Amino acid sequence: MAAASFRVAQDDQGQQHVQLFGQWSLRVPINDFAKLKKSLQPFFVDTFTKWDLLEVDQLDAAGASTLLSGWGNKLNGNITLRPEHAELFNTLISLTKPPDKKSERDWLSPLNSLGKGVLHLMHHFSEFIRLLVSLLVEIAYLFRRPQDFPWREFSANVYKSGVNALPVTALLGFMIGVVMGYLMSRQLHAFGADVYIVNILGLSIIRELGPVLMAVLIAGRSGSAMTAQIGVMRVTDEIDALTTMGISRTLRIVLPKVLGLTFVAPLLVLWTSGWTLAGGAFAANLELGISFRFFFDYLPLVVQPVNLTLSLIKGLMFGFVVALVACHFGLRIKPNTESLSNSTTSSVVTAISGVILVNAWFAILTRGIGV
Amino acid sequence: MMSESSIQNTPQENIPDQDVICDIQNVCTEFGENIVHHNLNLKVRRGDITALVGRSGCGKTTLLRHIIGLTKPKSGNVLLFGENMHIMERVAQRRLMNRFGVLFQQGALFSALSVFDNVAFPLRELKQFDESVIYQLVMHKLALVELEPRDAGLLPAEISGGMVKRVGLARALALEPELLVLDEPTAGLDPDRSHNFIDLVKQLKKSLGLTVLFVTHDMDTLASLAERVVVLEDKHIIADCPLRELAGIDHPFIINFFQSIRSRLERL
Repeated sequence: MAAASFRVAQDDQGQQHVQLFGQWSLRVPINDFAKLKKSLQPFFVDTFTKWDLLEVDQLDAAGASTLLSGWGNKLNGNITLRPEHAELFNTLISLTKPPDKKSERDWLSPLNSLGKGVLHLMHHFSEFIRLLVSLLVEIAYLFRRPQDFPWREFSANVYKSGVNALPVTALLGFMIGVVMGYLMSRQLHAFGADVYIVNILGLSIIRELGPVLMAVLIAGRSGSAMTAQIGVMRVTDEIDALTTMGISRTLRIVLPKVLGLTFVAPLLVLWTSGWTLAGGAFAANLELGISFRFFFDYLPLVVQPVNLTLSLIKGLMFGFVVALVACHFGLRIKPNTESLSNSTTSSVVTAISGVILVNAWFAILTRGIGV
Repeated sequence: MMSESSIQNTPQENIPDQDVICDIQNVCTEFGENIVHHNLNLKVRRGDITALVGRSGCGKTTLLRHIIGLTKPKSGNVLLFGENMHIMERVAQRRLMNRFGVLFQQGALFSALSVFDNVAFPLRELKQFDESVIYQLVMHKLALVELEPRDAGLLPAEISGGMVKRVGLARALALEPELLVLDEPTAGLDPDRSHNFIDLVKQLKKSLGLTVLFVTHDMDTLASLAERVVVLEDKHIIADCPLRELAGIDHPFIINFFQSIRSRLERL
């Protein structure tokens, strides 16, 4: 193997002759066409340079194209070629990149993209409604034929998004409880209002923090998994396979996920709130010396039990929203990696935003209850 | 009893070193309890179209993955272009990897990139060419595999299975490799398309001076493309010879196997 090289000579008229040797090919791993092009640059610029390629052993498209780009994409009389190489050069010249069309500045483009965005949003919305309706239709169908209920998938989903989420929700809930309890204890202690720690922690955790924390965690954990799973099932045609067996995809894929998460979410809310309260009680015990026994005896007296009901209702709604949004985005995935990652991201972001929106709306509706 | 004699008869004539593009020495592979290769030896010679055949699950694809460096055998050496890829430093290893191109069974195109960008990808990674040169090179490769310039903007999800294979081939050829490795090159193509694809590979082999190594289950592909055939059976290579010489080997698997390609060879 001989690497690509060149030699320069000057004749009596002061014209430069560049003679190329070796293999001008990517096959020779030590060839570096960027360097070669750079060192040939002065001769490319000089239009009177004579080029001699007769000594080139092997020329491939990469070598030829590099030379061509130096010559301004055309051959002229100063270039001496072997006949078998000329053909390659002519092929490459015919493949020259068409100049990019200079796009004129479009003053309406912001309006255009706004319109597109709105249409896109409307499309999402109508698809979402369609999914919701088909889910309700399937539930109505199940009332007529209860034996078709997908129990296995339902219980699998309860296990995957519920039972498997227990450690992480407990850990995060407990730690947030400790932090909140600690900060609040410091503030309340300054006013000598130590005992109110139970009121504040109890109300805020049971009514707000527990359900929202749970929803954010399962949106990140189970929602993304659902979207990715449905997406891959679409990519590998598994959903089509189900349909050809006469099995409704809504019944077998969407419904068990939505019902499973809706069923298990209130239980997770109880679990998360419990651990968060435990964390708060722990901090209050350390900072203010409030005993656990007093904390949990006093709690039902200052926090009305209806708050627990509200939080369970919230859990139901959040589970439903997270699972439905996850399925919606999963079913829109196109068979490529980019779409998979985009949809999974959108699924989590939309689910969390949806949860917070629903929470705000619910807070306004129930503003007179339990406080 | 059934195969001892033929294993020893395996023709391992001496080939000059510069003609061996890939040398597999005493390779053993096992997955847990399952022994796939046991002291397997094979030399692939330069300039041939070699087919690797054997029954399903006999370790053909595993051997192919050893050769292209994706996996490492439990013991033994795989020398590619005379060098062991697993003990090289990184830059040299990368250079070595640029000397062969692989077409995977499903094409393995980057699904987020267009046809053009898929073929341009290895060229851009070299960082030796500017965009106008890359455009010419990509279009040249696409023309080689008989694709239209207007296909360049399409995404892998938008093109047919036959086109995916062609784009995969164009990408494998982008860096002017010496060795082309094909895993099931005609799987999933209709007879007409697979026939065209075989012709394309043959023609490219001739014009670019390639060495081709491929794995196949398809008898038509084997009969019309392979010059040499390597039969992997019972953890060993039991035959390594030109296709027609299989007739002279006395081994139950090969006798069976040759019967199914004899009629196809006669038709050629």
